[in-house]
Amino acid sequence: MNEIEFYLAKSSKVDRVAPGDEISLSVDLVMAHDVTAPMAIREFYKIGIPSVFDHRKVLLVIDHCYPAPTVDARTNHRTMQEFGRRYGITVLSNGEGVCHQVLSEMGKLERGSILVGADSHTCTAGGYGAIGIPVGSTELAAVLATGKIDFEVPHTVGVCLKGNLPLNCSGKDVALSLLKEFGVRGLTDKAVLIFGEGVRGLTIGQRMTICNMTIETGAAIGYVSESLDMDDVDQIVTIDLNRLSPLVACPSSPGNVRPVSEVAGVPISQVVIGSCTNGRLEDIKEAARVLDGRKVAPYVNLVVVPASRRVVADAEREGLLAVLREAGAVITNPGCGPCFGAHQGLAADGDVVISTTNRNFPGRMGSRKAEIYLASPATAAASAVAGRLVEAELR
Amino acid sequence: MGFSTVIRGRVWVFADDVDTDQILPGHSMSKPPEELGKYAMSGSAIPDFPTKVKCGDIIVAGFNFGMGSSREQAPVALKQCGVALVIAKSFARIFRRNAINIGLPVMVADTTGLQNGDEIEVNLRTGSIRRLSDDWCVTGIPVSAVALETLEAGGLIEKVKRQVCGNEGRGLCSAGKDHKDH
Repeated sequence: MNEIEFYLAKSSKVDRVAPGDEISLSVDLVMAHDVTAPMAIREFYKIGIPSVFDHRKVLLVIDHCYPAPTVDARTNHRTMQEFGRRYGITVLSNGEGVCHQVLSEMGKLERGSILVGADSHTCTAGGYGAIGIPVGSTELAAVLATGKIDFEVPHTVGVCLKGNLPLNCSGKDVALSLLKEFGVRGLTDKAVLIFGEGVRGLTIGQRMTICNMTIETGAAIGYVSESLDMDDVDQIVTIDLNRLSPLVACPSSPGNVRPVSEVAGVPISQVVIGSCTNGRLEDIKEAARVLDGRKVAPYVNLVVVPASRRVVADAEREGLLAVLREAGAVITNPGCGPCFGAHQGLAADGDVVISTTNRNFPGRMGSRKAEIYLASPATAAASAVAGRLVEAELR
Repeated sequence: MGFSTVIRGRVWVFADDVDTDQILPGHSMSKPPEELGKYAMSGSAIPDFPTKVKCGDIIVAGFNFGMGSSREQAPVALKQCGVALVIAKSFARIFRRNAINIGLPVMVADTTGLQNGDEIEVNLRTGSIRRLSDDWCVTGIPVSAVALETLEAGGLIEKVKRQVCGNEGRGLCSAGKDHKDH
């Protein structure tokens, strides 16, 4: 068994598991947010039991639409708050930040623990070695009732990281390199196990960023190991970090990845830095290093969406937010922001957006006739200054 | 509810990699659940799909249908606007599970050759697909027994209800009775 299989076996209380086995996992933590929780709550009520399996193991986070941009969104907040009061469940409802980041800050992500989240980017927890299983609302309701989830043990693909990142590259470029390798369906239903000496040089934040985008390859699990080598995986793909260059996912698929140098020069109109992919302190710092003493180009809008309140506080203390404001950025409250096209910086027909988020599907940020490029905070910030897509020059 | 494993309907063809933002755009996710059908496929190449689709229609698509978000609103919207079945060369993991869980059948098959408006008959148990006009046939992967069981129960919640209330918690069930129908 590889490391992921070891923890799956442990959680399902069997000695061994193999790919294809149907197992039932005991869930350590259940999480949902304001887009998925209301539907899950409705389904949970239909089951008709007086309590959730363990109220201490449930966390609800209002992060997608906060403060409420519509009355419907506010209704969803209230549904969650009422459910929380009724069952003694913690509901973070004051703009604490994106669920995936907040979970990390709360110290809830232990290696080998099973997290079920009603959000596709639940895989972000793999940066800590937690096994994040993304589900929809109905399956979440079932888990709320039973504390268990049926799971088919996936085949595992190993990704061996070697070397160290160049200065102008970060976790996002590693994530994009995986998408370059596998495309948007190359790892459907597989587990991705990232290991090797290259992991040692990556911060927890970078590991989270890499795991965050494993769902974009179709993967069932994204997981970072601290082991130097790995047995019992179907195949191993090696990525030499020393040889990475800044990458960008071009419109309109996260799998349409090319070196920034190949597509440099595209004029842009809006830049978004933030989200569960790249809204952590180190991402804000990366952007601030590029923006320090410079100004956003005329007719370009820069929207910064910190991933959590703690990120805001830390960035404020370190003077980073002042640097961003001086450069011409608008800084929103922590949350999901415009990433999924509901509010706070939508794109219109003809807009060309560079975003540090995770998806650039047609219409993802508003209009289907807007184009979205996905890149690192450094690339996004440098492009905001240049008014066109460029590589950052970091020393 | 009368779930049938033989489904006959008119075809809508979609390409590879239809993502969840195309199936149900982000801005419409917060809408009340009973209104979601009005936004089905509104981010796709056929944005006026909800006004054109008829109850019982079938979507046939390429690889990786439903990639992206975990939003269950996507299959709910399809079901609500009348889509009876989605057939694709492959599905994204979360969408596939969500669809079955809410009672929308999905089946894997290569339906290259079918065109918009074709009438087909599909047998979920055998995986057979037949075009009514000329008896063109193809066989896909039969829907699994576990998935059929969920579909026949009317979705995952009905199945869980039987589990929780049938075996361990008969006494517990009455406590939540007031929520049973909503």
